[in-house]
Amino acid sequence: MGLDRRGFVKFVVGGVAGTLFTPVIWQGLDDAATWSQNWGWIPRLNKGEVKATSALSKLCPTGCAVKVKTVGGLPFAAVGNTENPMSKGGVCPVCAAGAQLMYSPARVKSPMKKVGEGKYEPIKWEDAEAMLVEKLTPLKGQDGKIAAISGDETGSANEVLSAMLAGLGSGGGFHVMPGEMFTATKGVKLMGGNGQPGFDIEGADLVLMIGADALDSWGPTVANQKAFGATRPTGADATAQFIYAGPVLNNTASVCDKFLAVPPTATTAFSLALANQLISAGAVCPASDFGDYKALAAKFTPEEFEKATGLKSEVLKDLVAKIKAAKAPLVIAGASFGQGAGALDFVAGASLNVLLGRVGQKGGMTLLSAAPKAIASAADRENAKDAASFLAQVATGKATPAVLLVYEANPAYALPQAGDMAKAMGNIGFKVSFSTYMDETAAMADLILPAPHPYERFDDAMNPYGVAKPTYLAGKPVIAKPVMDVKDPVDVMLAAAGKLGLSLGFETYADVIKAKAKALGADFDALAAGGIWNGELKGGALSLGAGALAKAAPVKLDGKTVALAPVSKLAYGTDNLATPPANLLVVRDSELLGKDLLVQMNAATAKTLGVTEGNKIKLTAGDGEVKALVHVNEGVAAGTVAMLMGFGRSAWDQFTKGKGDNVYKILTVSDEAGTGLKVWAGSTVTVAKI
Amino acid sequence: MHGHVEREFKITWGMVIDLDKCTGCGACMTACQVENNIAPMLDASNKLRTLSWLLVFEMSNKKAAPDAEIAYLPRPCMQCGNPACVPVCPVVATDKNEEGGIVSQIYPRCIGCRYCMAACPYHARYFNWEDPIFPKGMEKALSPNTSTRPRGVVEKCNFCHTRFVQAKDKARQTGGNPDALPDGAYMPACAEVCPTGAISFGDLKNPEHKVHELAKGKNAFRLLEKLELHPQVYYVSKREWVRKLGDNYAATGKPGAEKKHS
Repeated sequence: MGLDRRGFVKFVVGGVAGTLFTPVIWQGLDDAATWSQNWGWIPRLNKGEVKATSALSKLCPTGCAVKVKTVGGLPFAAVGNTENPMSKGGVCPVCAAGAQLMYSPARVKSPMKKVGEGKYEPIKWEDAEAMLVEKLTPLKGQDGKIAAISGDETGSANEVLSAMLAGLGSGGGFHVMPGEMFTATKGVKLMGGNGQPGFDIEGADLVLMIGADALDSWGPTVANQKAFGATRPTGADATAQFIYAGPVLNNTASVCDKFLAVPPTATTAFSLALANQLISAGAVCPASDFGDYKALAAKFTPEEFEKATGLKSEVLKDLVAKIKAAKAPLVIAGASFGQGAGALDFVAGASLNVLLGRVGQKGGMTLLSAAPKAIASAADRENAKDAASFLAQVATGKATPAVLLVYEANPAYALPQAGDMAKAMGNIGFKVSFSTYMDETAAMADLILPAPHPYERFDDAMNPYGVAKPTYLAGKPVIAKPVMDVKDPVDVMLAAAGKLGLSLGFETYADVIKAKAKALGADFDALAAGGIWNGELKGGALSLGAGALAKAAPVKLDGKTVALAPVSKLAYGTDNLATPPANLLVVRDSELLGKDLLVQMNAATAKTLGVTEGNKIKLTAGDGEVKALVHVNEGVAAGTVAMLMGFGRSAWDQFTKGKGDNVYKILTVSDEAGTGLKVWAGSTVTVAKI
Repeated sequence: MHGHVEREFKITWGMVIDLDKCTGCGACMTACQVENNIAPMLDASNKLRTLSWLLVFEMSNKKAAPDAEIAYLPRPCMQCGNPACVPVCPVVATDKNEEGGIVSQIYPRCIGCRYCMAACPYHARYFNWEDPIFPKGMEKALSPNTSTRPRGVVEKCNFCHTRFVQAKDKARQTGGNPDALPDGAYMPACAEVCPTGAISFGDLKNPEHKVHELAKGKNAFRLLEKLELHPQVYYVSKREWVRKLGDNYAATGKPGAEKKHS
């Protein structure tokens, strides 16, 4: 049978029509379209059930009560816990990056021992723990041979650490990294009181922050921000005034009703000049040292105020009028970068609360008494010793520890005169770093014992600095198994203590925290589910601290020296945490450009120093030196150079290492007159163009 | 404009950002990065290469100390009522055609010509110069809400659109009305995380949503209103210099000009 023309046409037409009825072509086109959109070389998303689990995220110093969102069990985001009365659904920028930080390239993946300068070798946990016990065994019973530095202000881990040291005969060896809590508690003692000061921002109708960057990096930041936000309903009138007096027009100052540019060297002078004006305007107080205080404040005349701060004395009059008109004024004093201020700067600011009768009042300053301990032999928190003084003693040979245990702290980076401190640490024979990340301290340790990320551990927070009433938070792991080969440092220490014949009554950190909760009368399970425990406030009167303030010595600046104001921005990380990868975008190009940090000063200061925008400069103080570019910023106080903290990392990861310079290198330590405390908030630097 | 008809929607999702409450802390930018799977960059100081769906600008009153003031302005995509980016797209990779008024961005369709970027006066659009590279392991922390994008395509804020879809699904499942979501049922990541509550979000046309009134407040304004793109993002500030900067001296081109509402 032949195929004629008609037959061929029929066959072709039939074939075409037939294919139109089969799904093959359409399915093929659809598949091709899908395939062309299926970019196999970019990461795929994870699938599974989405859940939200409560956690205590102690990536920031206070700790945020968050809900960790997981997909198929993998955490991917942290959102606020609206039911937690402290964070009220807010999250700080560091904790918001928490899930990604679990996989930070800087994480220590397994225990490691040093095998050469800068060289480490992964080892097994049993070997690492045996090594720790082996190093501690000969030192048992020798006072001062074992030392510890903790960078965790609020955790019960400090109880374990200090009790362990005491049990091993080195009771005086426990130290904490310097923070506001430390100096403020000393300040309260100078004012004849006892306890940790708290500040009821929520209840105040005028909040004067002297130095304290309360809406970004001071105290319980998120709670402060929530309290601030509540007083400013969008589209309606504000119900409280916020005033910031500090060296830099920072994030806090940007939303304040008034910003007063006060150099970091003039904090005490500012407070006492304000006290003088308040007293002139009729303020009296029943404190026994009011007479002495009044006489002292009288020395801080408006002229002295102008000389010390560079501000016009009219601003003081205006401030006095506002304070007098307020029903519930509150003064918060602190270093603008959260540390290094002496107790006297605190006393000068806090004395204003006493003068105004605001101690123990709603919307005033409160005193939090010591919380019950889980371990009786642990050191009292209010008697903590500071790590800066300790390492200064190590440098001069006054302290000679053979082993240093570093818990959640980064003293090699985050202490003033960082270079000297790191050198002093080098004098200690064996250093152990319990750290989640490869920080500068871990990078010089002999043994690195990786700690879990907050989503992988039990932890707690007792009275984060600044909270108005006794507060306790606790959390448990969000995920079943840590993503790295880590162990809880407290569990490791408890096991080591056990092997050394010392029983602290607990086997795990979880047990310690549960005991702490019980001692407070709190329910651990409720806390771990995102709850909070609040205790009652005890009363307590304070003096004006006139005796201590009389010893305050003014800082002198010469022509070539300027005051240094370190600026802390929580989003850019903390002492213990380099800028999280998810936060790199937040850093402005007027702050960091490539690898150069920009230091900020106002035009008048730049002129005096003979520098202009974009100039490369060198800032020196003591043996320390940092290099940076100049950025003119009219928000910086007179005669002051502002420099961001958190940069100039020498360890960590590819995202942070070698970017900018470390301001701690040029913070110089001096002894505060009258208190003997080490201070560095009033550091000065010499600036030279290079 | 250009034959493009401005479409009316019954629902218009919008933001009201209170600039007097924004401390510039950056939590919104971080939450946005996390929600939308934006890979970290080695040099994030090169702002011509970064991807900031939400960018917090710093504004200054340009006065010398001690009168200097600054304010922070978070800038998401404005989801303009009359978007400049949509008509210029040659492949309809961006459109405004869904109830709610969110300007879409369809990555697989995008050919990377970047006309939309040139057209957008708010610089809200970003071009992927690189493939997204997450540090090893970090892809395990990817959000399930936003697909990753390859190099060569443009991307931008979409008011966390997946959350909108999820909110509608939830309403359907629980017997609610997906076309009348209650205030707060749908919330982008930035508004959810903001610790001072500076960002309010809701349906601008729904009187039961807070933003309905807030957007009409006496201190409310939109950016570059003179361009008549009708953004769905409003700002609020009691500070006059901030409002003036937002309007970019609309009426006369000179500082101090009267505000001109479209």
